[in-house]
Amino acid sequence: MKKQFAPLVAALALLAACSPKTEETPAPAPTTAVFVLSEGEFTKGDGAVSVFDRASKSLTLDAFGSANGNAKLGDVVQSMGVQGSRGYIVVNASNKVEVVNLPDFKSVATISGLTQPRYFTSTSATRGYVTEWRGTYTGYTPGVLSILDLSTNTVTSRVPVGRNPEQLLALGGKIYVPNALDNTVSVIDEATGTLTSTITVGDGPSSMVADKDNNIWVLCTGFVSYIATPPYVVQTSAGTLVRFNPSSPATQLKIAFPATSSPGKLRIGTDKDQLYYSFGGAEYRMSIAATALPTTPFIRRSFSGFAIDPRDNTVYGGISPSYNTNGRFVRYQATGVALDSFTVKVGPNGFVFY
Amino acid sequence: MRCFLSHWAALLVVLAWAVPNGASAQQRPAVPDSARLSQRRHRLADVRVHAVGPERFAVGSTRLELDSAVLAQYRGGNLADVLQARTPLALKYYGPGQLATIALRGTSAQHTAVLWNGLNIMLPTLGQNDFALLPVGAATSVSIQPGPAAALYGSGAVGGAVLLNTGPNWRPGLRGSLQADAGSFGLAGGSLDARAATAAVAVRVAASYREAQNNYTYLLREARGPVRYTLQNAALRHQWSIGPEVAWRVGLAGEVTAAAWLTDVDREIQSGVNVAGSQARERDQSRRLTLGYRHVAARQQWAVRGAWFEDIINYRDGGTPSNSRVRTTQAQAEHTRALGAHGSLRLGAEAQHFAALVDGYGTTQVAENRAAAFALLRYDPRPTLRLSANLRQAALPAGLAPLTPTLGLEWDLLGNADSLARATSHSLTAKASAARSYRAPTLNERYWVPGGNPDLRPESGLGYEAGLRHRLALSRAAALETELTAYRQDVDDWVQWLPSASNGIWSPRNLRQVRSQGLEISTALGLRQGRYRSSTQLAYHFTDTRKTQGTAADSDPVGVQLAFVPRHQASLSTDQHWRDWLLSSTLALTSFRYTNASGTDFLPGTGLLGATLGRTVRGPAGTSLLVLVQATNLLNLAYESYPGRPAPPRTFSASLRVGWR
Repeated sequence: MKKQFAPLVAALALLAACSPKTEETPAPAPTTAVFVLSEGEFTKGDGAVSVFDRASKSLTLDAFGSANGNAKLGDVVQSMGVQGSRGYIVVNASNKVEVVNLPDFKSVATISGLTQPRYFTSTSATRGYVTEWRGTYTGYTPGVLSILDLSTNTVTSRVPVGRNPEQLLALGGKIYVPNALDNTVSVIDEATGTLTSTITVGDGPSSMVADKDNNIWVLCTGFVSYIATPPYVVQTSAGTLVRFNPSSPATQLKIAFPATSSPGKLRIGTDKDQLYYSFGGAEYRMSIAATALPTTPFIRRSFSGFAIDPRDNTVYGGISPSYNTNGRFVRYQATGVALDSFTVKVGPNGFVFY
Repeated sequence: MRCFLSHWAALLVVLAWAVPNGASAQQRPAVPDSARLSQRRHRLADVRVHAVGPERFAVGSTRLELDSAVLAQYRGGNLADVLQARTPLALKYYGPGQLATIALRGTSAQHTAVLWNGLNIMLPTLGQNDFALLPVGAATSVSIQPGPAAALYGSGAVGGAVLLNTGPNWRPGLRGSLQADAGSFGLAGGSLDARAATAAVAVRVAASYREAQNNYTYLLREARGPVRYTLQNAALRHQWSIGPEVAWRVGLAGEVTAAAWLTDVDREIQSGVNVAGSQARERDQSRRLTLGYRHVAARQQWAVRGAWFEDIINYRDGGTPSNSRVRTTQAQAEHTRALGAHGSLRLGAEAQHFAALVDGYGTTQVAENRAAAFALLRYDPRPTLRLSANLRQAALPAGLAPLTPTLGLEWDLLGNADSLARATSHSLTAKASAARSYRAPTLNERYWVPGGNPDLRPESGLGYEAGLRHRLALSRAAALETELTAYRQDVDDWVQWLPSASNGIWSPRNLRQVRSQGLEISTALGLRQGRYRSSTQLAYHFTDTRKTQGTAADSDPVGVQLAFVPRHQASLSTDQHWRDWLLSSTLALTSFRYTNASGTDFLPGTGLLGATLGRTVRGPAGTSLLVLVQATNLLNLAYESYPGRPAPPRTFSASLRVGWR
């Protein structure tokens, strides 16, 4: 029986020998690493975190797979947080957070029992938070903020928030959760783990930063509806940039965007006095002292991910040309002059500096 | 280069393994039907009410036919199953019962027209067919016509066409069979094929049912090591198909035909094993009705036909429905007449009306009309030289489609391809064809909200092929047929959906040129000795398909083999009959396939072995009982049919068929 299959096995081996070799790159050196998050193609389970070493400019494409016997990280790598020497990778469609040791990406644990997890933050080595959506795209319901015990890597409690909670912010003993399908920010008290207040902002709050004066800036995308003719999308409400002080959240500075496009991805520079955001296919920079939006873009380019390296102010922009083509990231000097670019996996959407 | 050689080496190893099957060859030639290369005798109406088919005007092209004996082995399955086991054709396949689309000659799923009794049944919304929704038992013949000559079938026939035909059997009396199937992972099903005929009326009913749990296990490599899971949300809850048809002879030369084909599939949609907790489900229902009349006289024939289709796709995931319903009404008319002693000319026209109520298009119904006129000419200046020249012009809502001419030539260089009866014969035929082809924009491409682009131009193809067909009757007991075809297929204005840089909305645009070129080799050996007969088919396809040029907006790299098109595919099948026994085996070899446009991620090559063992027991009064045991993936290879979709391990099924005549 075995002998009969021998030529077949030989033929198979010959065919298999022709598969292209997977690229191998050396493990990253610590402290000069940039983690590049690639979502991957939905349902293919090929999301990845690439490690870019800025000293040697070397790239490990799939750090999790390389460190863990080619295990797959999962489907739709959404975001990543860092606490000490632990990395928390939020894998949206796989409903989990992979906990890895840094910088080697060896698996420590998997936090399960989550549904549509989006963003992670932590306030200590034992306390973490994850925002989760509920419902489906035609009928989202209020989401939750899950409170995690990072010593056991389990969910300890859940706080109901608004619809589609996004990029949360921990500041001054409070967790601020922007509810992207509503016009509110939910405020959760760290000590009690309960919802203490809800701040009304503009439509579609999705990303937040705190500046050097401890003011909170909330970027609200506004709402859109879709139409049959180009440009296919109309703003039913304009985007806004909202600033408030946590001590008096009702007193707000509101700067409205033109109702031509949705702003997104609010970031803050190393000195916490320059804001960055995307709008209308370009990236803008604005001083926290400004009371009006800048009219000239910082970089005329649309990015699927954007971040500033606090160690040297290098700007990182992710490029996703299509859903089934590898993406890349471009590095820029702090002035906005392009430096170089590197190919990563499909859909680079974020950067973590470690 | 090393790679290329090793593929040939792989093929040779397989050949060496296969050859001993045909060592003892004597007596009468037995050409396997499934490998029989289309014989083109030029005659109009040689049998009463026997019409000339469109394939008569596709001179110089390859045609791969799956005969009734092969179809009978797979009659409980779907078209994707039989094509994967028996042909070296590329299918993109998401798992058993899940979406399966074809990539003929390296083109996309929208570039293969699927016709049922001459009517295009591609889904107007998606412009493609899910081969998992087409049960094998519904058709009485399945043929694949790759290449440019298929352009005579109209929109979408760029890479080729798949032709599903049904037809009543005019042999008087009642005949039929009833089959029950059961197999691994909750497979259960049954089918009926019943025919009856009198001198004036012939009736056929084909019906089938199938369900499967598909709850097999697979290994997932996790950080803690490999973990075995059971596949979730992958069941085929039910798949019904019923196809009644009737043909009625009217007068000496007329025939009225009426046929219906109703399919209803309820399946869970496997979302990939890395996606947690999906409960996606889809209901696919198609209702196809056709009524036709044809008149066949000695020197001319004409035919008119009307058809009404309704295609429903209702998808839902966790309570979120996405529904779609398209009704297609169409009419065809054609007239064929002999031109002197050596030629025939067909003139015809067709019109289609689509009415679509699709959630993705908004709340209002979208309607669209298309029409086409064609002229098909066949001319055989000598019996050994056959020519065809066709012209087709379609009118689409956005304007005229490209004019699509087709040219074909066949020339018998040696012997006579028609002399099948000769004891020892040796024939060699040269063939060539060239054609333009087109694909009309689909309804989704034109009307989807947001992103639908009503200004989209039809894609246009330009294809050439040339080759040789050789037939050798080694003795009265053995026949060997070999065909070699080289082709090139260019597609221009290839449509791609890309996100807008300013607002991220995905929209289809005419962005690129794609070139596909390749080589197809097939050989079939038929043997017969006493009560033993066998047929063996070996086929190899080399497919090289790449984007050659694109606009600035199209960032996919140029020169990379397109995703999900393996460069090398080979298939080997043998069917051996001895007394009342049947033993079949199939081997399908596929080289690695890229899974993204960058050419970095890939699925490794696979070798899948299948086998069928059958025994027929004759009963009284023309009854018979057939017991079939079938196995797939006999080597128990663990592989993914699509990234994140583990394929089934070794599976078994058993069938019991009661036949009567």
